[in-house]
Amino acid sequence: MNAGLEGLRKVLDEHVVGHEEVKQALLLGLACREHIYLEGPPGSAKTRMAEVVARSSSLSFFFYQLHRDTRLAELLGDVVLERRPLAEGEGERIHQRIEPGGILTAEICVLDDISRAPGEALNVLLRILNERKFGADSIPLLSAIATSNPMRDEYYNEPLDPANLDRFALQLRVPGLIQSGAKEEARALVSRFAAGTVVEQPELRAVASRRTFDDLYATLRRVQVPSEVKEGLLEILQVLVVEYGCNETNSLLTDRSFLVKAVKLLQGRAALAGRERVELADLDVLRWMTTFRVAEEVHEKVPELIARVVGSAGARPARDS
Amino acid sequence: MTEKAISALAAALDRALVGQEDAKTGVLLALLAREHAYLEGPPGVGKSRLAEAGVHAASGSPIQLALHRDTRLQDLVGPVQLRREPYGEGQRLRHQTLPGPLLGAELVLLDDLDRAPAQALGPLLRILGERCWQGQALPLESVIATGGPERIDAYADPLEPGSLDRFAIQVRMPGLLYAQRWDCARVLLEGRVELSPGPVIDLCTRRRLQEQARRLPMPRSVQRAYVDLVLRLQRFAAGGMPLSDRTFGRAALRVLRAHALLRGASRVERTDLRALRYMLGRRLPDLTRDQFEELLAEAGRPAAPWLGPSAAAAGAAWGAAGAAGAEAIRARAGRVRSWELQPGARAPGMDEAQVERVLRALEGRFERGYAGLEEDPGGSPRSYRTLRGLDEVFDADPVELIGYLDGTRPGLPRSFRRERRRAGGQVALLRDVSASMEGRLGRWAGRVVAGLVRAGARRRMRIGYVEFNHDARRFHAGGRFFHRRYTSLLELAASSRAAGRTSYQAPLQVALNEFRARAGRNRHIVLLTDGVPVLGDPEVRRERTLARRLGVQVHTVFLGLGEHPPVLDAIARETGGLCFVGQPRPGGGLRVLGLGEGT
Repeated sequence: MNAGLEGLRKVLDEHVVGHEEVKQALLLGLACREHIYLEGPPGSAKTRMAEVVARSSSLSFFFYQLHRDTRLAELLGDVVLERRPLAEGEGERIHQRIEPGGILTAEICVLDDISRAPGEALNVLLRILNERKFGADSIPLLSAIATSNPMRDEYYNEPLDPANLDRFALQLRVPGLIQSGAKEEARALVSRFAAGTVVEQPELRAVASRRTFDDLYATLRRVQVPSEVKEGLLEILQVLVVEYGCNETNSLLTDRSFLVKAVKLLQGRAALAGRERVELADLDVLRWMTTFRVAEEVHEKVPELIARVVGSAGARPARDS
Repeated sequence: MTEKAISALAAALDRALVGQEDAKTGVLLALLAREHAYLEGPPGVGKSRLAEAGVHAASGSPIQLALHRDTRLQDLVGPVQLRREPYGEGQRLRHQTLPGPLLGAELVLLDDLDRAPAQALGPLLRILGERCWQGQALPLESVIATGGPERIDAYADPLEPGSLDRFAIQVRMPGLLYAQRWDCARVLLEGRVELSPGPVIDLCTRRRLQEQARRLPMPRSVQRAYVDLVLRLQRFAAGGMPLSDRTFGRAALRVLRAHALLRGASRVERTDLRALRYMLGRRLPDLTRDQFEELLAEAGRPAAPWLGPSAAAAGAAWGAAGAAGAEAIRARAGRVRSWELQPGARAPGMDEAQVERVLRALEGRFERGYAGLEEDPGGSPRSYRTLRGLDEVFDADPVELIGYLDGTRPGLPRSFRRERRRAGGQVALLRDVSASMEGRLGRWAGRVVAGLVRAGARRRMRIGYVEFNHDARRFHAGGRFFHRRYTSLLELAASSRAAGRTSYQAPLQVALNEFRARAGRNRHIVLLTDGVPVLGDPEVRRERTLARRLGVQVHTVFLGLGEHPPVLDAIARETGGLCFVGQPRPGGGLRVLGLGEGT
């Protein structure tokens, strides 16, 4: 793995037990400059992981806990009123504008409990996350990591708007270790805290510089994507639409995510593994892209589907040669 | 030269976006006809990208605005100027809105049109539509707006049809994946798209093309066919929004001419009537391409009986030749009716009014003791009110705030009243699918269910759905019985099959158990049935008691020929619900009786 990110991974492992997939996905998201959405029950280390990753990279960082009364200004910066005297005559010209701050000036941001904010307030995020532009100005944002509790009646939240959800290329469920019955990991967790040596609010030092991310991004864009991988990707999408009946009302298979961003994520996967070429096995990344974009029943079948396509495509060249 | 410029424009759009031919044509038509366009599609299909590419290619430097909940008219139109003028002994403060960049723009891109509050959008679209601001003509050529598909559970208010009518061109953009355009998907995967194609024609060429389009002659025969086609489309839209004279009497003609120019023709021909297809996105969403072609093929035929002159002729024949004329008129009526009953067309007269009655009464019940909107600091701004606390200063009208702080304004500044729809209430829909619910009754029940789902969606109620015969089948979504996945409920409503016999006890038990497991107010059950219970307790005594105890209103709807079982009336009466009886009538159609309200 890339040296800078390896450091980041180490720090993650130091602070959080288990959650192998989430850790991988976080690093992949950062490397590819994509946004990540983590959904899990309270106390499953979502926010902790997001924060550790964000703070231990030397990127400017913005953390915001969303709530019911979240206002635009809290995410974007202060609303200021400018009063200027008129060039002629007495009087003034009044301008209301936003002094960029928050998301607009950060390179990495954590939006905690994103689904607690009313959808109306979030929709301004759309353009910011997607185009990385506010008004006409570009913003330095690389990745946003959003966390949320599952949509349940007991929590005061509401599902993300599909358009908002689509902005997060990678989407993962974060089950609690105890809830998912991960015995080994739960043991490790308990033994760590039983020792009583863990600092609750650790000082985190920066282990990955902006330079690391820039270099990595440049490298991954040069990674080759062989046509068999593209065909494999298409085949998986075809099965989802044709066989599993995914359509506009029950899923979110958007062209942007699955035909443009998916390629970048495949490249990122290869680059993180130190390869210059995407392999069929990298298609595995689709598991993290479909989590909340297709129905739960369909998502359960995705790993199987990927394995099938990878298997049959892998067999083909062997037969040919 | 014209041809070259046009093919360069088309090629630029092709480089920017794969597939989406209709939308590309729509954008070109808008640019050449100087009309506004609205591109509608799910996220990530390239709406904004196409709009941008089109404008840039045509050498425009657009003003681009992303609309959101807090978009205000002031942000769009321009800053405010306060001018102090001496006035007698004292001073007068004049408040002026200055024209902002938007008002000087030739081309405007509006992103996420459907997310802005309708209050801010209305005046803006009016300005853009009239191309006029405070009596001054604007240099505006085209606005290209984008928006998501209409969703029943969207939080923003739906776009007003009147506002939307300002957009002559309206095109829908389906996703490549869902449309199964695998060839296009492959091209996109190859990454062969250009990020931002620069201008391919210069400003002079754009002007020249627009001028050329404006002057293309439109022969009388095409005009006649056009009018005929529009009238046919209007008939197809029966019951929906009327096709406006503004758009179809004026703007459409520019679009037809632009279409002819795109084809490289020297005059408007019959085939250019196809350009209307790019104008029907939101206006006639049900019309398929084949239906359009069919209408087009019929348009302007001399036989079309209801075209102005021939209708007059038929009227004359009525007076003169009696029977023959009557025959002609009857033939005409017959043709129209058969048309309306075609699948896809809206078919009035089919019990719809009756369904509406039931729905309205039940909606009224959902609404009771429950306001649709509640104040919420995160909601959409609806109107102004006086400031109540300092924390609201951020939301206050800036000019009034300054006046207040300066001591030049006597009262407190106004701030927004923000409201959002209340997310509350649960309704369980219990639908009888026993064997007798076949055919018309089943369809009717489906309509009631769909109507109730929509009504619930408007109030953001959680809805549970049970189909029952002798057994009750619950439908879950995401592991929950009561949920807000309205679209999947609508699909269920349209796709149920009838079999088995009827029991009232089973479904009521299932639904009440779900209610028992949770707290809440505004709880309803709607029981839709056509039969007498042959299984379970026919009087459902236990369930009646339980419903009363849980405070669940049970509404019953009985469909069918015979007497309705009195127990339905009793359940409704005891729980404070409504009871309806629908009887099919011999000539088709359905008569609904409301049996009064329970107490």
